[in-house]
Order: sequence, then C-alpha cells, then structure tokens
Amino acid sequence: MSTENAFQISVPDDSLSLLRQKLALVSLPDELEDAGWEYGVPLADIRRLVDRWANGYDWRHHEALLNAELPQFTRDIPVDGHGTLNIHYIHKKSDTKTAIPLLFVHGWPGSFFEARKLVPLLTQNSEHHPSFHVVAISLPGYGFSKAPSKKRFDMDQYAEVCNKLMLALGYDEYVTQGGDWGFLITRKIAHLYGPRHSKAWHTNFPGGQPPSLFTQPLDFLSMLINGLTAKEKEGLQRVQHFIATGCGYSAEQGTKPQTLGYSLADSPVGLLAWIYEKLVAWTDQYPWKDDEVLTWVSIYWFSRAGPAAAGRIYFEVGEGEPAKQMARFSAHESTSIPLGISRFPGEIVCFPKSWSKNLGKIVFDREHDGGGHFAAYEKPEALSGDLRDMFGQGGPAFGVVKGRNGYD
Amino acid sequence: MSVESPFIISIPQESLSLLQQKLRLVTFPDELDDAGWEYGAPLTDIRRLVTRWSNGYDWRYHEAQLNMELPQFTRDIDVGGHGMLNVHYVHKKSDAEYAIPLLFVHGWPGSFFEARKLVPLLTRGSPDHPSFHVVAISLPGFGFSEAPRKKGFNLDQYAEVCNKLMLSLGYNEYVTQGGDWGFIITRRMAHLYGPKYVKAWHTNFPGGTPPSLLGQPLSFLTMLFHLLFPSVNPQMQAGFDKTQKFMHSGSGYNAIQSTKPQTLGYSMADSPVGLLAWIYEKLVGWTDGYAWDDDEVLTWISIYWFSRAGPTAAARIYYEVGGGNTQKLGELMGTPEYTASIPNGISRFPGEVAILPKSWAKSNRKIVFDREHERGGHFAAYERPVEVCGDLRDMFGRGGPAFGVVKGRDGYNSE
Repeated sequence: MSTENAFQISVPDDSLSLLRQKLALVSLPDELEDAGWEYGVPLADIRRLVDRWANGYDWRHHEALLNAELPQFTRDIPVDGHGTLNIHYIHKKSDTKTAIPLLFVHGWPGSFFEARKLVPLLTQNSEHHPSFHVVAISLPGYGFSKAPSKKRFDMDQYAEVCNKLMLALGYDEYVTQGGDWGFLITRKIAHLYGPRHSKAWHTNFPGGQPPSLFTQPLDFLSMLINGLTAKEKEGLQRVQHFIATGCGYSAEQGTKPQTLGYSLADSPVGLLAWIYEKLVAWTDQYPWKDDEVLTWVSIYWFSRAGPAAAGRIYFEVGEGEPAKQMARFSAHESTSIPLGISRFPGEIVCFPKSWSKNLGKIVFDREHDGGGHFAAYEKPEALSGDLRDMFGQGGPAFGVVKGRNGYD
Repeated sequence: MSVESPFIISIPQESLSLLQQKLRLVTFPDELDDAGWEYGAPLTDIRRLVTRWSNGYDWRYHEAQLNMELPQFTRDIDVGGHGMLNVHYVHKKSDAEYAIPLLFVHGWPGSFFEARKLVPLLTRGSPDHPSFHVVAISLPGFGFSEAPRKKGFNLDQYAEVCNKLMLSLGYNEYVTQGGDWGFIITRRMAHLYGPKYVKAWHTNFPGGTPPSLLGQPLSFLTMLFHLLFPSVNPQMQAGFDKTQKFMHSGSGYNAIQSTKPQTLGYSMADSPVGLLAWIYEKLVGWTDGYAWDDDEVLTWISIYWFSRAGPTAAARIYYEVGGGNTQKLGELMGTPEYTASIPNGISRFPGEVAILPKSWAKSNRKIVFDREHERGGHFAAYERPVEVCGDLRDMFGRGGPAFGVVKGRDGYNSE
C-alpha cells in the first residue's frame, strides 16, 4: 500500500537551458559607493556568483553527488483538508538495526540539503555513541516535495505531514531535530504527537518568553535584581538588530508572498540575492564556497513547486500579519516529552537561557563557541555530538524510543 | 549657474529589445486555489499584463504622447555633500501672466507621470479661478533623474534639490503639492524654506500625530473616548481599522525597502514581471476602485523599468530617510515638524492608506484648508485630478485662505 518511490534528482535539460538563457540576459543594478553590506548584498558578490553560475558551475556534477550521498524517496501523504501531497525526503538508515529514528526538519531558506553533513555523522555506528536512522523531509513547497494547493496550510498540517511520514516508514516512535521553522514544527509535533509517537525533541533555535512573576517568579525577580549578564545583553541586542534591520524578508513573505513570488520565480539573480543575504548574515563566518552557495540556491530554483511557494509558510503562520508570526514563535505550547537545546552564538535570535524554561521538559542544554543559524550545516560535528550526548548511554534521553536505543 | 536642457523621453531600441527578450523567457509562479488578492497580485492579472506587454503594448506610442503633453527638461543641481545631480522635470507654464509657481512632488511608486492629468487643469488660465505654472520633478533615483551615488541622501537633500530647482527656474517664491514621499519632502521644505521660499503647501496625505495628554488634552481625551466607545463614531473607527490593517498587513514592501533595498533591487532590475507585480499591487491596493487600463499600468511601470537610474534606485529613499530600520519611518510620518510659518491645505480621500482623525494633523501646522472627498485614494492627483485641482483653486484663488501668498503672482492675469 506504500506509494514510496526511490527518487533521484534529475532536473530536465530544458530547465538548465532556461536558467542559462536567463543568466545570459541578466541585468544588474547599480550600487551606492562604499555600500558594503549595509543596503543588502554587495554587487561584487552577486556579480561573481552570477558569472560562476552562468560559466563554470556544473549543476549535473552536484546533482550526481547529492544522489550518491543521500538516498532519496517520494511518497504520497494525505493531509486532512488538503488532499494528498507527494513528499520528498532523504532516508538514510544506520547499519545498527536498533538505531534511533530521527526526523530532521529544515526551515527557510533551508532545505533537506542542510542535513547533508549531519546524515553521515548521525548514521555512523559505534559502540561509543548511539546512532540514528535519519529522515530529512522536504517540507511541502520546498525541495522536491509538492506544495499545498489550498490556503491555510499551517503548523498543524506541517506537523501532520511529518508525523505521517515517520509512521509510514514504520517509525511508530521517533525523535526530532529542528531549527528555524523546524523548531515550530517539531514543537507542534511534540505537542500533538508526543509522547505517543514523538518521544523527544531537540532544537538549535529555542524560542521562549521573558519570565513573568507568575510563570517563573525567581527568574523574574533575579532579572529585576541582577539585570542581564553582558552575554545576555549582547544576545538581546542582536535580536533587536535583527528585528529592526533584518526582518524585511519575513514582513514581505508574511504579507504578500505571491507579489514577491513573481520576482523569485522569474529571476535567478533575484532569488540568489534574496537567499544569499541570509546565508551570509545568519552564519557565523562560515567560509561559503561559491559552488556551495549555488547548489543551495539551485535547489530553490529547480524546486518542484518553484521558488515562490516556500515563502507562503510565513503568511499562513501569521495569518497575513508579521506580528502574529512573531507571537507564535514566542507563544507557549505545552509539550511533555524531553527537550534538548543547542545554543550557537551566531544564531539570529538569542534569548537568555532563563527564557527557554517554559519551552518544555529541558533535559539537555549546551552552549557552543561558534556556529550560527544553520547549525546542522555549519557545525555538524557539534550538533551530532550534542545529539549523541543527549540520546546516548548515560544521557538524559537514553532509550526514549522503545527497542531502539541507538546501539547494537 | 545651472544649465537647462530640453528633454525628450527616448528609450534606446536595445532597451526595448532586452525587455522583450526577458518577457519571452518569463517564468510564472503557481498560485493557491481561490487566492484572490490575499497573498498579493493575482496570477491572472499578471499573466494578462505580461501578455499585453510583450504583444500589443506600444511603448513608442505612449512615449510620444508623454513628450507631446508634458514639456520636459533636465538640469544639473548641486547638492551639498553629493555633487551634481542631473535632474529631470516637467515644466509647464500657464497662459495666465501671474500664475502661481507650483512644485508637484511625487512619491513611491509614483513619478512625474502622476501629474499628467493635473498639469493641463492647473495651467489653464481663466478669470474664474487661479492658475499655476507647474513643475513636476522626478526625484533623484526616479524617472529620468540621476540617482544619488553616495550614501546618506536624506530628507534634507531631497528638499534641497526641490528648492534649488524652483529657484533655478526663477521661482523665488512658490507653493508645493505632494502626497506619499511628496508629503514628507514638502513638509520638510515648508520647515526649512518657508516662509522665505515656500509660501504655502498642500497635501493629499494628511498625516498626523496622536494627541498627547499634556500637549493637546482635549484631543487626547476625545481620542480615548472614541477608542473606548467605537460605536459612537463608526467612521473614525473604520479609519483606525484601515490604518491598522495597512500597518499590519500592507507594509511588507516598506519593511524590505527600508532595510535591504539592494537585496530586493536585484529582482527589480532583472525581472520585468517582478517589478510589474511589485508596483501593480500598490496601483490597485492603494486606489479607490480606479479602473486601470492595462496600457496605463504598463506605461506607469515602464517608466520604472526604463528609468535612468534603473528600478533599484527608487526604493533607497526608504532606507535613507527611514534610517535603515523598520520603526523610524512610522515615527517620521507622525512627527509634527514645525511648519506653521506658512499655510497648509489638506485634501482627504477615503481610499488613502492611512485614515487618521482630522484633529491629529494640527500639531505644528497652520491648516487653512481641509476638505474631505467621497471618492479617490492614494494617487489623488492621478485618480481625482479634477478634485485636487478644484481644491488647489479654492485654496489659492480669490477669497481663498491662501490667496496671494506668492508676491506678484496671485494666479490671475492683470486686471
């Protein structure tokens, strides 16, 4: 009864040709003197990337590498009120039969590609650490999954697709890892499907709220009496800076994703700039190689639903109002399963630790010295280390999945 | 010693060809079922406009019309700290000997094109109403004006260009009309150059600041009362709702343009359909049931596409004046800059994006004219030229509250 099909990325020749034709006609804007990164992505970077994309970048080579490294599949998943969506995902099993099933959920402008480096680390078996069977889903509207065709595909629906996928793969119990939208979605999964199916969740993008007199009286008073540490202040200043200067993309995607979508669907350089700005701004001095950037962006350009679909999640979650989007990020959602947090200093939203307390049952909380928003991609060893420590023997979430503790 | 050159819009054939080549390769996104206008400009509209743009729309014809109707010029204007900018403008003189010099200042996504219908009305001489010599500037970065090359081209610089243009045309005293950025810029001009050069200003973008308890106690208490009992003044409540809706669901363009205009600019410069959708959404969203003709829309947008500085430059005004962050612009709109040395006139149109109580505009202003209309929206000069012209004639005409503000140019022929 399974509709699973093995999948290989195989972008049609026409699509490659069209991209080349568009790049050949590219019109670049001017730029103010000494603009740097102040007004957005610098012209020199875009020029260089466009030249490479048109001349020298070999999509077929990268496509083949991805197919060789990441076993991919598609399958139909019915979603209440939204019909059946054909979902694309990576599914890499560990040699350890009783490895822990783990679902990796990306965000925007991420994709299954973010899990590329994490997958071999997590699936590796060893007597010294647990291993995982990894499923990295392409959320509806991203990568090679179909997009929703109806309005109001919201958090519940994303969670439903994810849960159904894991169940369809025979993983009645599983754990999750997610950042960005992956945080909100895996939290929803924990809320709706934990502890029955989702047994523990881990995030590198912890939301949270300031403590209040009622929820966390001691933390609240401590904050009043002692103020914030220098590090906490710096973190909040970064949040302030992000909200004041770095949220234009989410305001537009959260209000008029279709209007924006015409540009992103029609202009490769437009899409490149839109995403590249975040690849640089949200990482912690990650030394991007041009071809790496181009592969990341090409996945959006060649995506099954087209580049306009991915931004709609912002609209749906905020019901067309960016303020509501932010509120949902901070709003409390009850979860009963163990939660692990990894904190990376380059993350765009860095709240004080005390603000995460009411996120759930925190059993693991580790801070790192380097790394940013795309933690799985920037710091795969650190992230897989955290997951191994959280779920391994002696760890706080050891054995959460019945009969699959990660060891032989 | 600035030198004026007559100007004819004459887009190079290569530019027209490139546009056609890009349109031929157009890639459309999908759309959600029954999306309507909820998620942005609908696919059917954009498809239809793109089809027309590539097949049937005749830019040369519209270019010729514009050149015929609107006498245009360019001249170099020196802007402190920014060097010389070559500025494009429409300058149409009235038949009336002592017509009032009037500067029309557009906003975004407007242009000199917005003044197209207003110009013949304002310049027409008659013993029954005043007439005007009209100057419609293309702000730096818009239309056929050069764009600033350096960072920091802020409100004072826009005001400076406008004032210097009028002075260089021999209009030592003049009045202004503006909406959108034109409101903010002409308000700044009133503050900086009134009453020496700017003698009066008129706007269709009323603006306003909420009253404070200490500053305007009576207005403040009235506001509180209406907020607590919205049913008492449903019209005021409807205005607040509309304004809120604009701020909460209609300001995405503002957020991105105020913070990352360059990032957005790569799309705008490279994709005609991207630019079309970006602007068309506002042409429909901000007007009051205006029956746009496809060719009209395409001409409006072609001016952006073929603009001298390219489509990316225009949006930088949001960043520069907004200080590169999303809060400042809102504050700026509501900041009551002192302009009370000269008379101000307001025309209110129900389709405007922000509808605030009338009393909120009072701070630091000398309002001598305030009229409400039944129909019309944000692009008032373009949607309701007769009304805007009528208001200007009433404000500046004989018996009007700003009659004779410009020495020796009361708008009429000598008697």
